[in-house]
Parts: sequence; structure tokens; C-alpha cells
Amino acid sequence: MISAIKTLSLWDLLLGLRVTLRNLFVKKVTIQYPEERTPQSPRFRGLHALRRYPNGEERCIACKLCQTVCPAAAITIESDVAEDGTRRTTRYDIDLFKCIYCGFCEEACPVDAVVLTRLYEYHMEQPGQNIMTKDKLLGIGDKYEGMIAADRSADAPYR
Amino acid sequence: MSQDKCTIQVNGVEVEARPGQMLIEVTDAEGAYVPRFCYHPKLSVAANCRMCLVEVENAPKPMPACATPVAPGMKVHTKSRKAIDAQRAVMEFLLINHPLDCPICDQGGECELQDLAMGFGRGVGRFSEAKRVVRDTSIGPLVSTDMTRCIHCTRCVRFTQEVGGLQELGTMGRGDRVVISTYIEQGVNHELSGNIIDLCPVGALNSKPFRFSARAWEMEQRPLIAGHDCLGSHIFAHLMGGKVKRVVPAACEEINETWASDRDRFSYEGLDAPDRLAEPLLRENGHWRAASWDEALDAAAAGLRRAGGDLAALLSPSATVEEGYLLQRLLAQMGSASIDHRLRRRDFRSQDTEIEVPWLGMPVADVERLDQVLVVGANLRKEVPLLAHRLRKAAVRGAGVAFLNPARYPMHFPVADALQGTPADFWLHLATLVRAAAQGGETPPGMAELLGKAPAPEERHRQAVARLREGGRSAILLGNIALRHPRFADIDVLAAALARLTGSTLGYITEGANAAGLALAGALPHREAGGRARARAGANAAEIIARPPAGLILFGIEPGLDCPGGAGWQRAPAGGRFVVAFSAFRGESLPALADVILPIGTFFETDGTFVNGAGQWQSFSAAARLPGEARPGWKVLRVLAERLGVPQPGQATAAAIAAEVRKLAGEVMPDALARQRPASAIAAAGEVSLQELDLPMYQVDALLRRAHALQLTADGLAGSMPEGERLTA
Ligand code: SF4
Ligand code: SF4
Ligand code: SF4
Ligand code: FES
Repeated sequence: MISAIKTLSLWDLLLGLRVTLRNLFVKKVTIQYPEERTPQSPRFRGLHALRRYPNGEERCIACKLCQTVCPAAAITIESDVAEDGTRRTTRYDIDLFKCIYCGFCEEACPVDAVVLTRLYEYHMEQPGQNIMTKDKLLGIGDKYEGMIAADRSADAPYR
Repeated sequence: MSQDKCTIQVNGVEVEARPGQMLIEVTDAEGAYVPRFCYHPKLSVAANCRMCLVEVENAPKPMPACATPVAPGMKVHTKSRKAIDAQRAVMEFLLINHPLDCPICDQGGECELQDLAMGFGRGVGRFSEAKRVVRDTSIGPLVSTDMTRCIHCTRCVRFTQEVGGLQELGTMGRGDRVVISTYIEQGVNHELSGNIIDLCPVGALNSKPFRFSARAWEMEQRPLIAGHDCLGSHIFAHLMGGKVKRVVPAACEEINETWASDRDRFSYEGLDAPDRLAEPLLRENGHWRAASWDEALDAAAAGLRRAGGDLAALLSPSATVEEGYLLQRLLAQMGSASIDHRLRRRDFRSQDTEIEVPWLGMPVADVERLDQVLVVGANLRKEVPLLAHRLRKAAVRGAGVAFLNPARYPMHFPVADALQGTPADFWLHLATLVRAAAQGGETPPGMAELLGKAPAPEERHRQAVARLREGGRSAILLGNIALRHPRFADIDVLAAALARLTGSTLGYITEGANAAGLALAGALPHREAGGRARARAGANAAEIIARPPAGLILFGIEPGLDCPGGAGWQRAPAGGRFVVAFSAFRGESLPALADVILPIGTFFETDGTFVNGAGQWQSFSAAARLPGEARPGWKVLRVLAERLGVPQPGQATAAAIAAEVRKLAGEVMPDALARQRPASAIAAAGEVSLQELDLPMYQVDALLRRAHALQLTADGLAGSMPEGERLTA
């Protein structure tokens, strides 16, 4: 009997509409991108970068741990003896189409060379631009070192 | 036997052991792993790393398993609290001075210290004092050093002392200031020095050519047979993306034990030489241009057909059985028997009566069981380094190893006697030895003239004969210098006579990787596949070189460097001689001579079979990827035969071809003394220089001539090729 009345009066629908009514008067959460941005965690995993030491020396030592750990096989590294006798990459490519932004490469890196930055606004126009070469990655690192360093130190107490 | 057995307990399990055997051998056989660094089954026990401590009941302290002899009734625990605590403590001490280097260390991923630190190390270091740093000096072009990583196990020191026979490394200093060092201003120059790379349990000693170029886990391992000497050592090629990144030895107790010579280990560097051929080349109006296989093969077939039956082929003594067999059959079907792989031989007078297949006359491992050896005409350490190592083991055991050479070659073991003469006449000692051996009895028939030339025996000759005669198992080995000598026929007859008179085995140390296999495959002018005499003999190598025919096939050789006299070859004027070259490299002498160059693979990239000096048939599969359009030699030969209208049905795989040759060859290797050899009537010219007889060890084939690091070693730099002809890539 009761269930017949509920069915005829569309009781469940009214219950739902009550939520709608309540939310008409609540503060809005929609963001007007690109004028407005959501806040980001320092742990945000966006575009990759390769960092340098303050004296300009590349951090990456071509240990290939990031290439090995990468679950998407997105990283390709070739290595050799550099002119000064150190171990360096001669090629360091990240394929952004393969990458799943898991951040494992950053975790694996023993010298904090490869990092994921908070940059997420990028696009490609030509085939092949999905490959981030060593030069590009170092360039990003140079340009955003301030942000990268600040993010790492903000996260440091929790690691 | 049973009385030298006793039982001991390992982790509560009763096991049999010999009293006096070291505990670690018993635990290894039992499968109870004991961590270790300094212990190595091929080296003496040093017991200086202390990693192998185990608990022995009733012993006051933990005992090192590698240096504790078994005693009846022992109760050993490898996993007890006491043992594990001791092992962990040792690991902590070892890591005190070890750098945190794994990410830039080539040993990373295959490092014994890394593995054991995972198993026995503490998660956190408690050592906050300054760590030791060791300054590196270069010890040569093959082995890189990062001595800060050294854990002082002294495996490398013991290797140079006990296996190398010339101590090239030692320790200096005490305590944690010990450093491994060479003698002042000296490097490590031994021809087996690369083995310290494998022996070093850490990343202190590593391969210099390989340095930093790949990670252990990225590479793929493929088994191969090394193709530079007649031993046929087992090796592994480590590949990344189809390219050989490094070569390491594969264990094979009966041939190379666990070692590899530097030549086998580093020759792969030549694969990437700048003049590596990736496509067929065709001469057109005096200029070379790249061509398709179709064009090149058609041109080759047309040119060879024009030559008709006036054809000959020279092939490298390191070509595979399959290649040799197909090439000789192709030639036979074209109506010629002029094929030879004995490129550097000068004396062919005795070819019909000498042994069908030159070989050692015994298994490789038996060489170290010989009691008396006379080596005639061999710079043994440079010709076959690991055979010299076997002889060294014999000599160290007490065997008498004597040499008869045109020069004094320093050996790494005590030599019983070193007879010496001029390059042209050193073999006369052999005649004197035969005279000494025959003294009182009758001299071998037909040799009066040869023996007449020899000086009268002195005391040392009589002693040498007495040693061979009475000293147990004895052998006479003829080396490359003897085989290349202009009086080889006389040397061979005399050596056979001496072997008969003294009851010794006669053996041959042949050139290249496959002289025995090519003899069995019929790549000889006077014998067909299987070793039977040909009805009509063709021209031998010397005749082909002296009078090149209208059509010439060069297989895997650079005539300027591989054939004595080949350097003087000129290209015949147009319409004259037609030369087809099969080669992996362009080089300098081929383009000057050839009309078509067909790119083929080296033994790294070809399926093939080598028959080693002990008569073992060893097949291998292609390991590396061929560059560009290059193809395995045996496949090219098959297609060329088709184009020539002499198709070779039936064998689509290298294995099938090898099986066919093997059926013809049978299983038994010939006995060097089975046939009587008449002394050759006509005397040959004897003049020859030492440089012509003794080839620098890293110049013997095209691949080695391009192996960069080897050319920088002392032996490589000593390469006595004429200036301009020497290739150092
Ligand atoms: S973020 Fe993950 S998927 Fe992307 S490159 Fe790094 S490890 Fe590979
Ligand atoms: S020797 Fe082994 S433990 Fe030492 S740095 Fe190299 S890989 Fe790491
Ligand atoms: S260099 Fe290597 S093999 Fe030699 S003592 Fe040091 S750790 Fe041992
Ligand atoms: S392995 Fe026994 S002390 Fe080194």
C-alpha cells in the first residue's frame, strides 16, 4: 500500500530534487578556466624536467634507473663516457604519449635529476613533438628551477 | 675411495666429504649458499674477505668456510644466528669504505657486493667518519679502474700471479690503506688480462671499451664460439638492440675453462668499424657505387662465367665449415679445384703426404696432462693464448716444456729448454734432434740428405730426446711459425720422424679458427670434402697468389694484409681478371683489386660451425644483427651458385650443410703418424724474415685489425705491419 503511494507520488524524484534545491543556494565550485585556476599540490605530476646543480652541472648520471622503472617504457636513454670522464647520457628522451605521469621516474632517481613539474598546459602541433629530448627537458629545468626547488622543499618534511 | 670419505653435518643434514676439502666446496655441492668474495674455485685460497664465516660446533669462533678443511664429524651451520651475525658484521666493515656509487658503477646490477649487501647489509650506515678515496691510475686500454670500490679480495692479484704467470698486480700499504697497484710505470699487458674484469667481484675493475655504455639488465646474452684461434673458446655476446656491447667467457671446462683471451673478448669492437660494409659495391667505369643485391650478384655471376673454368678462390682460415663447403662445391661445379685457405703457408711440397686434417692430436684439456712437450715454431702466447695457459699448467705441475724457435719468446712458466736458430735455419735443430734420437739405431729411410745438413748433436739435444722418450706422455707441437715456414715440408717430416722415434704425439697449432673444419669441408686444392684426395689437384694458395687466374673469389680476406705477396697485386687492365670479394669490411686492398664486393657477416652475425684444434665440431647461431644489406656468407654463396646455374639443392639451413659435411668427414680425426712421409726431394728456398713468419697477434684477421682498444695495447702497438698498411681504426 505504502509503496504504491510512493510510486504514484514520485517520492524518489522529490527526494532528488531536494538536493538540487539545496545546492541552488550553495557557493559555486566551477572554475572559469583559463581566467581561474585550481590550487595545485607541490606533489602535482605534470610535465617532466631535468635539473642541474647550482654550478650548472647536469644532475643526471645516466644510471638508467628511471628508464628501468618506467611502467610505460616511455624513457629512452643512451649513455657514454663524457669528455671529463664522467658518466653522462648522450640521449634522454621521454615520450609524452606513452607516459602515464605516475612519477616513478622521479622516485627512482638517486640524484633528483628527473622531476615532474606542476606544468600541465602544453600541446603538440607536429608529429614528433611528443618526444621530450634532453635539451628540451634541461631547458624546462633551467626555466622552472625556482618552482621545482620550492616544491621539493615544501614536500620534504613529509618524505 | 671410500676410506677417504667422511661424513659431516651441514645445517643438520649428513653429507659426504673428503677430509681436507674446504668447507665451502661441500656447502656449495650441498646447495647451502655461503656468501663469499675472495674465494674462487680457479684460484688459491686467500681467506682475506671473511665474508664466508660459518658456525662450526665446538669451534670457539666462526670459521671461514673457504679456508676451513673438513674434519670427520664436523657440524656446520650456515644459517644459524651466530653465522648470520658474523656475516652481517663483516658486511658492515666492508661497506665502511665503499662509496655509494652503484648508479654510476658499471658493475651495478651484476655486483656481488650489491647482491650480498641486499642480503646481509644493514639498512642504515653507522659510520660517520671520512671514507677512503683511492686515486686511479690507468693500467692499460682494456681494463678500467675505480679503485675506491676495491674490497681487497686480491682475486685480481692472484689471477695475474697464478693464472697469468707474470705478476702484474700487487698490493701496497696495510689495513684499510691497502691499494691494488701495478709495478711503477707498468700496465697490465698480459694477453689474458681481461679476465680480471670478470673476477673482480665489485666494480673496481671493469671493461674500458664497454665503460658506461649499457646496463647489465638491458642486455641479452647469446652463446657463441670465438673465431680468432684454433681453440674455439666458448663465449657469450651481450647485445643491446642487436649490437654487441661486450663479450664475456662462457664456462667450458674442456676448452677455455672459465677464461677468455683478450683477443676473443675485445674483438667485437671491430664490428662497428667505419669501413664496415652495409651494401654491395660495384665497380663501374673505374668508380665504386652502391648496388642492389640483384645487380651485384648478376655482375658477379656474369664476370665469373666469363672466366670459365679458370677460376680460383682464397678464403680466410676463419671462415665457417658451411662457407668453405659451399665455396669449394661452387668451384668444383664450375670445373676448378683451385681453392685454398692456407694463405700464409709457403711450402706445399708435402701437401699430399701430410696429415689430412691438421689438429692438436689430443683434446685441449689433455695438453695440461702432458709430461714432456716440444713446441716447434710457435710464438705460443700470442698465437693461442689459452693453449699457452694449458701448457703453463702442465709446466707448473712439473712437465718439461721445451721450445724450438727462430726467436726467444718470453714465456710465463719455466721452460725446460729453448733451442734457437735463425729464422731460415732454426729447424735444423730438429734434424739434429732426429740424429740424436736415431743414434746407434738406423736413421729413418730417405732422410739421409736432410740429416746430413744438421750439426752433430750436443748434450742438450740428447737431453731433449731423452726427455721426450722417457718422460711419460709426450708430444711435439708444430705452431704457426713452422706452418708458415718455407721449409715446412722438411720440418713436418723431421717432426714426424722424431715423434716416431720418441713415441710422442704429433700435433699442429693451426692458423685461424677453423683450419681443421675447412680441411674437412674440402676447401683445399688437393682434397675434397671429407679429406679424400682429389683426382686432379688445383692450384694452392701460393700459386694462386703468384699467378691469379681469370676469375678470382676472395672470401673474408684483405689480400694486402692476409696474403703474403698479396700487397703487390695490381688490378688487371679492363677485360682481364675478374675479382669477386666477399667481405665484411671495405679496407684498402679490396677496392684496389675487386670488381664486386659483397657484404657478409662476421662470426658474430652468421650461423656457422667451427671445428677446433681438438676436432670438436661446434655450431653456433648468429648473435648480432647484420648491418644494412649485409647477409651471412653461406646464404650469399647459395644464391650466387644459383645465378651461376649450379644450384645447390637441399640445404636451406647452416645446420643442414654442416650435417652433410660431417657425414662426409666421419667422426674420427686422423693420426698424424699414420702415413709414412717421404722426405721431399727438391729443396725449397729457405730465406725468410722473422716478421714474415710471426704475425702480431692483433693483426691476424680483418675484425681484429679494426678492434680499437686491442690496437692500443702493447701487443697491438707492436703490430709490425708496414706503415700505412696498419689499420688502427
Ligand atoms: S612519470 Fe611514470 S610513465 Fe612517465 S616517464 Fe616517469 S616513470 Fe615513465
Ligand atoms: S661495486 Fe657494486 S656495490 Fe660498489 S658501487 Fe659498484 S655496483 Fe655498487
Ligand atoms: S680490484 Fe677487485 S679483484 Fe682486485 S682486490 Fe680489489 S676487489 Fe678484489
Ligand atoms: S671467501 Fe672465505 S674469506 Fe673470502
